[in-house]
Amino acid sequence: MTSRFFMPALLAALAVTAPALAEDYQTNLGPMPLDDETKEFIAGRGDVKASFQGDTLMVQGNFQGLPSNATEAYVWQSAHTGVPGKQIASLKLTVTQSTSGTVSGSLKLTRAQAQALREGNLYIQLNSEKAPPGYMWGPRGTLWGWLLPAHETVGPNVPQQGNWFVPKLHTLSR
Amino acid sequence: MHNKSALLLGGAAAIAMGTVAFAQGAAGLFTKAQVDAGRVAYNEQCATCHQPDMSGMNDSMPLAGESFMKVWGQRTTAQLYSKIHASMPYGRGSSLDDATYASIVSYILAANGATSGTTPFSPTAETGIGSIATGKAPAGFFNAPAQAAAAAPAVGGQPNVATSAGFATAGQVVKYPDPGRFTLPTKFGLMLKGDIQNYVPVTDEMLLNPPEGDWLMFRRNYAGWSYSPLKQITPDNVGQLQLKWMWSMPENGTMEITPLIHNGLMYMWGTSNTIQALDAVTGELLWENRLGPPPRGPGPGPSNEETRAMGLYGTNLYVNTPQGFIYALDARTGEEVWKTKINDKEGIGWSTGGLIIIKGKILVGMTNCGRKGTDDHCYISAYDAKTGKRDWKFTTVALTGQPGGDSWGPLPDNERKGAETWIAGTYDPVLNTTYWGTAQAKPWRRDERGSADGDTEYANSTLALDPDTGKLKWSYNHAPGETFDLDEVFERVLIDHGEQKTLMTIGKAGILWKLDRATGKYLDHAQTVFQNVYTSFDPKTGRPTYRNDVVDQKSEQWLSSCPGPQGGHNWQATSYHQPSDALIIPLSQSCVLMLGNGSQTYFEMPGTDGNLGRLSAYRTSDMKPLWSFQQRASFLTGVISTAGNVAFVGDFDRVFRAIDVRNGKTLWKTRLGTTVQGFPVSFSVDGKQYIAVTTALGGGSPQLKPGTMLREVHRPVNGYAVYVFGLPDNP
Repeated sequence: MTSRFFMPALLAALAVTAPALAEDYQTNLGPMPLDDETKEFIAGRGDVKASFQGDTLMVQGNFQGLPSNATEAYVWQSAHTGVPGKQIASLKLTVTQSTSGTVSGSLKLTRAQAQALREGNLYIQLNSEKAPPGYMWGPRGTLWGWLLPAHETVGPNVPQQGNWFVPKLHTLSR
Repeated sequence: MHNKSALLLGGAAAIAMGTVAFAQGAAGLFTKAQVDAGRVAYNEQCATCHQPDMSGMNDSMPLAGESFMKVWGQRTTAQLYSKIHASMPYGRGSSLDDATYASIVSYILAANGATSGTTPFSPTAETGIGSIATGKAPAGFFNAPAQAAAAAPAVGGQPNVATSAGFATAGQVVKYPDPGRFTLPTKFGLMLKGDIQNYVPVTDEMLLNPPEGDWLMFRRNYAGWSYSPLKQITPDNVGQLQLKWMWSMPENGTMEITPLIHNGLMYMWGTSNTIQALDAVTGELLWENRLGPPPRGPGPGPSNEETRAMGLYGTNLYVNTPQGFIYALDARTGEEVWKTKINDKEGIGWSTGGLIIIKGKILVGMTNCGRKGTDDHCYISAYDAKTGKRDWKFTTVALTGQPGGDSWGPLPDNERKGAETWIAGTYDPVLNTTYWGTAQAKPWRRDERGSADGDTEYANSTLALDPDTGKLKWSYNHAPGETFDLDEVFERVLIDHGEQKTLMTIGKAGILWKLDRATGKYLDHAQTVFQNVYTSFDPKTGRPTYRNDVVDQKSEQWLSSCPGPQGGHNWQATSYHQPSDALIIPLSQSCVLMLGNGSQTYFEMPGTDGNLGRLSAYRTSDMKPLWSFQQRASFLTGVISTAGNVAFVGDFDRVFRAIDVRNGKTLWKTRLGTTVQGFPVSFSVDGKQYIAVTTALGGGSPQLKPGTMLREVHRPVNGYAVYVFGLPDNP
């Protein structure tokens, strides 16, 4: 187990000594929690890349396949990766008001938000006309994705040798 | 100002009255005829999973009583109708006619104390359920007979609509999106008597050292490796694999079986407990005994309607049935030799996990035992292979006075529930110890269970038992006080590293555990997929620490669980490839939000790009990850590996594939009739190696979650079968 934590620990140490370096993040946007009743409206996919330097988070991504037009997108903060959290009103993104398009923004993060980013606790949530935000049979919205450290990705059915990225396990504070 | 105040007061009064109206609701929102029709439809479409008394089971939440009212008491009748209409019956949402859905909802409301009247149920009525229902059923409500004549009313002048797509008669209107038609068997017994000559009895020695070409038990060997020493099929020639034969199996219900192979004979279990012997080379039927009963409903069934493996010993084939029986059948003829019941109470305690035969004893576990409100506990029990007489039983929850007996908080012994054993154990003949995993305590969630922060021994544990006496040697609790339906019940794989005797297992949380199997001491663990249930593990003991919001959970609170009940790992078993020391593990990458009553919504695991399936290999000596690949569809079979360095696995989207065990590369794949589900095996006859695999539907979370999330995957609702592949006769 020890060796698997060596690289993240090294990165964390480097981050302390070289804070000016940009930190790269990525996420894939996927459907928010759904069931057979709501899957008709909660659908679509997307990809986002982000870079954090100083106190600024630059976000650039795209999405497609929404059943209804996108309406808004924000960065949300949660207590843990994969646990629904709260919208950060000041971290609003620009989103194409369509069923496909782009999502982007240049956002100023507080220190606490920056720490949450490094711990894998910030996520992007995109809402649409038929799957708006709210709380009915669980937290609602359309697409979401946790911002995770940039890592190698391969397509389906392509084997990766040795380690592969596991969120949180390889998302130690950097 | 005065007038404004009056308006405001009036408005406030109106709002208040509205609130009162919502709170009090209106009686008689449905008719007695709808309740009667709903009783029929519910028993046909819903009772198999939700139970006749609506108490719920496994993935199927209670539909009556306190637990139901906690969640649905705050919602409306329209919301209940909408949810049931969209998602039920299991896997066939919106397949019934609207009148039948209205009747079923009426019946559920009546079961919760709502009274009928003269107005038919309105699917759009926003009436608060808490205002018309109490959660208490009228006395004798569930004992009233379901009158078949009380069918759903005709709709729009059309002929009566079939409430079950499987039983439509000519001319009946069937609103059912799937192409399949189901027929349930009606005749049982020895349908074809066998006459197998020169049968070679299975001995203890054969079970200890299985002949190369045979697959005599669940995991092929006592150590649970799911590994074949055959090496005719290799990475170089696996691309030439071709179908040798295919045999259709009975439809409906659930099938997740392991074909057993002995000396050129194949033994199969099918739904309705249809037991068949086949010629393993030609696929010819040699005998068939339909033990029954039929599945409780048409179409794919729940996870408690099947068994995962049978056993061979002497001249008998041993079968544990989901109804809680063990049968000894003559492996040569199919005739019944003896039959015994493992459950002590009628209708409580079934058996789905297969069995293991050790020194003339049949060891079997239980499922659907030890539920809230039933007066029983789950146990593992052993039976004499010759007579069926019970030899011992071990109760799998710790009772007062036993080790761990103080780990259930304030709960008295008769309220300590769960710890089912729905996967058969393994066995170390040197240590003379059998190893079993247990499932979680019941109900799943601590807030519903009442066990406070107790560890709930021996739930979600590895149990080491003496097979001669059933005495506990040691136990190790992988998930003390578990609360998310994250079972740790799956296969215990026994691997030696020099002098060190280890046990490997992986549960739904996706944590791969390594224990010293002589002592039960924790040795190591590895996290195979993302998980957010635990925040840390004690480096010395392996004991996990839960998230704070999990510890402080409330029944009406939506809580996130990654993985969810589909499991990082589930019953789709691992394979230990001995030559490379690689444990090949089918993994799943889905999460849930869950309420205390078990209601769930699903989402993709963070960082997986919607790939629900993952297959990963770990070197067991140092727990080093070797390779991994992911794909959109979940894997729905166990893995087998062979000495030829090839592994085989099947998935939800009908793909069966061969993989190079050294690097995870796909070498060959084909598409079968429906979901590839079960436990593949490899065998040989007359020097030729074969691969057998089953296709089937039914089951719990591994079918339910992808069934909702993989919107683009379309599967036939029939196609239960066994397929046998081999190399060309003249390559």
